[in-house]
Order: sequence, then structure tokens, then C-alpha cells
Amino acid sequence: MKLRAPRMVRRLMAVFRWGAQDDEMDQEMAFHVDAMTREYVRAGMSEADAARAARTRFGSVLRHKEAGHDVRTAHLDQLADDVKSGFRQLVNARGFAVVAIVTLALGIGVNASVFAVVKSVLLDALPYPESDRLVRIYGGAANRSAPRGPLSAGTVNDIGERQQAFDSLAAFTDIASEGVYGAETGPQVTTFTWVEPQFFQTLGVSPSVGRTFRPDDAINGMVALSGGLVGGDASGPVILSHQAWTRLFASDPGAVGRDVRIDGIPRTIIGVLPAGFIGPMGEVDFYFAFDRRPVVSDAIAARRSQWLGLVGRLKPGVAQDAATREVEQIWTALVREYPADNATLGASAMPLREAMVGDTGTPLLVLMASSGLVLLITCANLAATMLSRALTRRKEFAVRAALGAGRARLVRLLLTESTVLALTGGVAGALLATWAVQRVGELAGRALPVFANPSLDWGAMLVTSALAIGTGFLFGVAQAMTVGGTDTQRTLRDESRGSSESRSSRRLSGMLVAGQMALCVSLLVGAGLLTRSLWAMASASLGFEPERVLTGAVQLPTRDYSDAESRFLFRQRFEERLQTLPGVESVATATSVPTLVRQRTGVTPEGVDSSVAQPFVLASLVSDDYFRTLGIPLRQGRTFDSQERPDSPPTVVVSESMARRFWPNGDAIGRRLRLGPNPESPLIEVVGIVGDVRNDRARRDPEPMAYRSTRQFPVPIVTFLVRAEGDPLALVKPIERELAALDRGLPLQRVMTLPTLLGEGLAGRRLPVLLMTAFGALALLLASVGVYSLFASMTAAREWEFGLRMALGSRPGAIAALVLRQGAGWIAAGLAIGALGIVIVVRLVRDLLYGVSPFDPATIGASIATLVACATIALVIPVRRATRVDATTALRAL
Amino acid sequence: MAVRDFDLIQGTLDLLVLKCLGTGANHGYGIAQRIHQLSADALRIEEGSLYPALYRMEEQGLIESEWRTTENNRKAKFYTLTRKGRATADAELDSWRRLSKAVTRVLRALEQGA
Repeated sequence: MKLRAPRMVRRLMAVFRWGAQDDEMDQEMAFHVDAMTREYVRAGMSEADAARAARTRFGSVLRHKEAGHDVRTAHLDQLADDVKSGFRQLVNARGFAVVAIVTLALGIGVNASVFAVVKSVLLDALPYPESDRLVRIYGGAANRSAPRGPLSAGTVNDIGERQQAFDSLAAFTDIASEGVYGAETGPQVTTFTWVEPQFFQTLGVSPSVGRTFRPDDAINGMVALSGGLVGGDASGPVILSHQAWTRLFASDPGAVGRDVRIDGIPRTIIGVLPAGFIGPMGEVDFYFAFDRRPVVSDAIAARRSQWLGLVGRLKPGVAQDAATREVEQIWTALVREYPADNATLGASAMPLREAMVGDTGTPLLVLMASSGLVLLITCANLAATMLSRALTRRKEFAVRAALGAGRARLVRLLLTESTVLALTGGVAGALLATWAVQRVGELAGRALPVFANPSLDWGAMLVTSALAIGTGFLFGVAQAMTVGGTDTQRTLRDESRGSSESRSSRRLSGMLVAGQMALCVSLLVGAGLLTRSLWAMASASLGFEPERVLTGAVQLPTRDYSDAESRFLFRQRFEERLQTLPGVESVATATSVPTLVRQRTGVTPEGVDSSVAQPFVLASLVSDDYFRTLGIPLRQGRTFDSQERPDSPPTVVVSESMARRFWPNGDAIGRRLRLGPNPESPLIEVVGIVGDVRNDRARRDPEPMAYRSTRQFPVPIVTFLVRAEGDPLALVKPIERELAALDRGLPLQRVMTLPTLLGEGLAGRRLPVLLMTAFGALALLLASVGVYSLFASMTAAREWEFGLRMALGSRPGAIAALVLRQGAGWIAAGLAIGALGIVIVVRLVRDLLYGVSPFDPATIGASIATLVACATIALVIPVRRATRVDATTALRAL
Repeated sequence: MAVRDFDLIQGTLDLLVLKCLGTGANHGYGIAQRIHQLSADALRIEEGSLYPALYRMEEQGLIESEWRTTENNRKAKFYTLTRKGRATADAELDSWRRLSKAVTRVLRALEQGA
């Protein structure tokens, strides 16, 4: 048997093969005439007579051919008719068309854009070759209270020596430091980080210009550990990120080999990284190489300073699990061997992707699930609109069927109409998704992991569209099938008589209503819980007053401010100058802004054996007026003042929770302790207790915190906090002037108000709340429209019945009650099913909740109330129509 | 002279063509000739009806066509029955028989003056 193309394809081809077909027909008919001619000749006619007779007998070749073409293209004419009719029907039923198209567009748009974001974070490859072989190794506290912390150089060394799973391992300083780059156009704030020479090979990245680090490029690791204060001369080679190369060197290939000064220290540029490379520590301008050996051989720094991140590339064929287990085993051994250093610490390995996705994983999955719910509601809604449309057209179809339209023709009519709808809705959805991906990307911004780059996924969009459009088709066509079926006469009779819609279609409509209610209430509860959490988090007291406070930072180059005296003097003069500015209420400086304190230090109270592992507390260096400026209350003792001198006995102010933790009897004042890893370090006296500050707002309990005076430790980073009398932003220009008067080469960094800074800290939390609330609103709208269109068609179908009832004496109120009762029943059923959905949603968002119980009655109550209110409004319009049925008009239809 | 140009009921022509092709592939002229002969010259197929019918049945997948050479060494378009066409022919024949039987019975009864 010959292989043939499918009929549809052949039919389409036929249009394009018009000319060839014409020729074929010509030949075929010529043969016919010829054969007839020869027959006539055999019968005794002359050649010429026979030919003429045959031609006459055969008739017009042209007309036969035309008839042939008509047969072959008849289906196309029908298609054109259907498309025309489809458009006409849709224009006549504008309301229906708009609902269906908008529903499709929203459903497709929302899902495609959310999936784009989720995919960019959870599915797209990391920007490293064979990134599934990359593993991140973290330190942290043994009790997991501070997970994902840094490791000590000693631990990195031991893991490197004992492991067998990795091809290579490379350590790096996890937090980028800031340094001033002396560009020709003036000083610029840049970020830099320290990496081991094999760092880029381990990630599998080679520079786009120049070379990568060699072992002999590395400089003393003590320089990196101490921030340039220890370790001697720190000059050495530097590698640029592509971004820094573009920004600072205008992409000049000649930049490689050039000598530059970063923080006043000369460096030579040896390479530029490729565009798109982002290290596990995030976006960084400069990379320096360090040698960990000097740190490992330093008795105290080796195991008591946790400061390194570690990344490794697995040997081919080694599973992530095996590496995780190996690191755990090595760590167990290290805890046994160095209990004094390691007992309170932990170490664990995880895939680099998981490490870089960080905390965004759960919110994204919640978002994906919510947009999935929106998609389900979209499908239900489309089903509802198609169904109600089919219901209102039953009579039309019955007439068409009675006039001889076959079932196939009716289905095709509906299919063309649906296709017109689907294409319009699909295109609108694609446009919406393109726009939404950008918006969501902007909105998410810093909340997403550094490597994420959301872009539309057409495959996912197709699947989403297919699902939504398919549902619409299914319900529209299924309904048409029941009408175009065998019992045309009955349908026609019933419809024209106007008997009520069938029980099965009413049940289907009801189930669609219930389903939408269930999905919608789950989504609303989820959105409500997240909103309340965010609100609780944003409004919970932080332990200080951020209003009217302006913050910013100045980084003192270690080369220009090499001794403590010069740094102390700068700080003092800067504070004095700011203090005299008009509009300034009070001025403080510190190492970091509250809520952004990253430094932790080990604590050993006096009298406790120093070989016992130290618990860690947050540590910050602050000026005399820090507590007053931020409104942190003094509970006991005193804060810092001029008694603190570089040569006076060291002092510390502790937070209430720290005092409670180490001196539960309330006698903290006057007690002494050691901070930091060195057991020989001088004892520090507790002189004051201040109120707690919540550094991490996602944590309910404030972390213990120790403050020391900048008078005794003048570090090169000067973060200032200025409380203004009026608008804090009005102080920016004057502060810049004062700084320039002190030192022209110092740029002002990260200037913003404290409330703004706090708001940015919540950006990651705000994204899921914002989107889920938007989804909730969308779901509410869709479900209301769905409920409306279903009940509108249900009441329309029963108009005659209602008219009859009224003619027989029913009151409009009774009719309304009848419809309302039916609607309320399905809505209640939906809410009952919704209880299950709520349980599932609550389980999903539980980890993201803060300050609100998962089954918060207020949230659940409000969600149900909102939904019921919307559904009621959607019900009222059809009910009003039902009660206004004019008995005589309805009965005339008989 | 033979009866010319019966107005064949639509469907009857299709049935004749299909059954005719059931005995072997043939071209348009051959089909017309064969039906003409078999009906003892009573039926004469209009070419204006034959070719559209052939094209329509080809569209419907009941028959397929192929250019072949005739015994006189001339190129002609031959039609063959498809599996679907064979089934359709059988079904059509069945319903034709029932129809003609019914019509005959009614006419006979009427003629007998019932």
C-alpha cells in the first residue's frame, strides 16, 4: 500500500497544487475524449467526425474541471464560512468573548511569567561548566542556630588533606570587602574578595583576557584575614570581573598589565573574567589571591577564626551524597581532635546550586503552587464560560441540526469559534507574560539569587496554553456533542418549550462553581497568612528607633590611615563636623548599621576553662553616642564615654539577652570576659547593659550582642548614623562637603535613610507576599466571573420555568430564594472542599510565617468572608434577572 | 434506442462506481463504458457527474488514483478502491437493496390494487 500524507495535509496541499491538478484533469479528460473518438472510429465514423462527436458528447472540459476543483476545495469554503461565522458569533457575544480571552490571557500570562522566574532559580544551569559536580562546604554553629557560616583555615586545610571525593577545593572570603579604587576620574568605591589561586580552575572558568592566578601569585593569608592590618606588604596581582572591566576600564584590553591602586595599595591587573561569571560570593569587582598556609601555621588564627567559604569540584562519577557524607565524617573526626575549637561548630556540604539558591527556594515553590492554582481556576472558569455559552446556544444548534447540519459540522463550527478565541487569548497571554517576566524580575531584583536571569520559557508557555485552551475546547465541544446528537427533535421541542436545563448539566455547573470556590479560598488564606506575617515582621519592634536617621559609610584606606591614632582622629573630627551641621540632632559611628551586623565573636567569661569551646555572640564597635542616637535604652551601668582610651582597661557593653545568658543572676556589671579566639587576650569588663536589638528580623528572639568602643578599637570602616531634626536626606550634601573638607580622596558610600535600608532588608520577604496577594485577587476575580457566568446561564435556561411559577402565583422573593439556595449550596460545598486546600496551602507556607499562627482564625475568616461576598455579588445579578421575568413574555414562548 | 440519462439518485452513482472498481482498477472512461455495457446500454453516465464524483470520493478516501499505461500503451489515470471504499461499497449496496426491495414491494402492492 502506498504511504499517504494525512488527509488534512493533502487538502491543504491541494490548494497549492492547483495548477498541477488542473493539468492532470486536462490529461485525464483528454484521454477520455480520445478513447471515445477511437470507439466511434471503430463503429465506422470518419476520424474528424468521430473527434467532433466525442467532444460534443463529452461536453465542456472547462466546466467539468471547474466542478472538479469545487469538489476538491469545498472543505476550504466551509472553513472560511466557519471562521467568518465564528467571528460573527463572538462579536455578537462580546461579553462571553471578552471573559474568555481575558481569562486565558491572565491564566497563561501569570503562569508563564512565574515559571520563568522559578526556572531561572531552580532549573537553569549555574554559570559554571558541569555545575552539578560543584559542592559548597559550610561551617556554622553545631546547634544549627547560625547555619551556612564560614570555616577556619585549619578546617579547610584538614578537609583538603583528608578528602577523596574532590578533584580540587578552593577557599575564598565569603563576604566581599569594600575598597577605594583611585580611578583617574576620582575615587570609586569597589568590592573585592580573596580567593585561593585554584579558585577559578575549580569553578571551571578561564579569563576572557589575560591569565588566571598561579600559586606564586598568592600573598600572605594573614593580610586577607586581618583586612590588611597584619601580614606585611600586600601588593600582588588582581583579576577583574567583566563588569568592573567595563565600568572602570571602559573594556580596554590594554587594562591587563596595568598597575592600579586599590585602597592605596599597588596591584597589577593580570586578567579579566568572562561576562556572566558570578562567584558563589556574589558580584565582586576585584579578586586577589591568598595563601592559606601562614594562617594555618598561626596558633590562634588557624582554628579560632572562621572566615572562609569553600567550594569543591567532585571527581567524575562521585555522587553529591558521597561527598556530603565524607565531609560529615571528616568533621566528626575534627571535632574529636580539636574539641576546644570545634565542639560548638558544625560543617556540612551541599550542592552549590542549593547553596546559591539559598532562602529563595521555598517562597518560589509557594509562588509556583499559587500560580498553579490560578491556572486551575482559569481552566474551571473557561470550562464554565464555554459551558454556559453552549447552554445558551442549545436551541440554535438544535435548529441547525434539524436543518441538516451533521454533528461533525456542528463540532467544527464550535471548534473554529474556540480556535479564534484560543488564538486571541493565547497571543494576549504571551504578550502579558513577556511584560510580566520583566516586571517580576525587577520586583524580585535582589531577592533572587545572583545567578538567576528570568526569561520566558516557550515550552512551559505552550503547555500552560494547551491546558487552558484544551479545557475550554473540551467543555464547549462536549456540550455541542450532546446537542448535535441523535435526539435533535427532543432538544428542539424542549428548548423551544423552554423546559429547564437538564439535571446533569446543572450538576456540572455546580461542581465548577464549587471547584473554583475551593481553589480560591485556599489561595486567599495563603495570601492572607503571608501578608499578616510580613506585617508582623515589619511592625514588630526592632529595639531601636530608625525614623529620621541617615546612614552611610566611609572606608579609610589602610595605606593612608595605617595607625590607630590617625583612624581615631579621623573619626573624632568627622563626628565633630557632622555634629555642628544645622538640622542634626545627634551623631554616632559604628562598624555596621543595626540589623546588618555580620561579625560574631566567641565569648569566654572569666573563670570558665578556655579549652571549652566558646559560644558566639554578635559583635559591633560603636561610638559614645550610638545608643542615644538610635534610642537603644540603657538598662544598667553606663555606655561608653571619654573614660575609654586606647591604653585604659578594655570595656564592653552587653545586650540584655547576653547578660541573661552568661550571668543569669543579674550581676553582669563589673564581671569580666574574653572576646575572640585568643585565650591569652586581656580580660574585658562589662560596664553596661542595653536593650536588645533584633539583628535578624526573621528570628523571633534577639541574638545576644556585645558592643565595644571605637575609642579602643579604631577600625578603618566608619559607618555613620545621623539623627536629623527634619528630613534626613537634606543632610546628604552637607555631609559630603564636610567629608571632602577632611579628606578629598574619600567617597561617601551607601548613603540612605535607615527606614529605607530596613525596607530593603524585607525585599525578599515582600516578593512572595506581593505576588501571592496579586494571585489571590486574580483568583477572586476569575472565580466571581465564573460564578456569574454559570448562574447567568442557569437562570436564563430556566426563564420559562420561572415565568410559569410566577404565573401560578409564586412571589419574586420565592424565585430568588430558589436560585440563591442552589447557588449557596454549591458555594458551601466549595468552601468545604476548600478546607482541604487550606490545609495543603498552610503546610506549604508554614516556613514563611512569622508572628501568626498557621490556622489564624482571623485570616481564614476574612478570606471566606471576602470570597462569599464576591460570590454573592456575582449571584445577585442573575437572581435579579430571574425575579424580573415577565410571566406573559415567558409563557408566550410556549 | 436505449434509455438515456436516468437521473441517478445521489449516492447511486457512487455505489455503481465503487462496485465497478471492486472488480479491478479502471480509468474514468473505462468505468463509464463498463456501467454502460453492464446496464445493457440502459445507463449512461454523464461525464459532468462522473469526474466530480471521482474527485469527491478520492477526497473522502474511498478511492485512490495513479497514472498507469493502458494496454494500448497510453497514459491514463487509474482509480482503485481503498479498504474504506470497499467497506462503504458493501454498506451502500446493503442499503440500496433494502431500499429497492421496499420500493418494489410498495409498487407491486399498489399495482395489485391493494
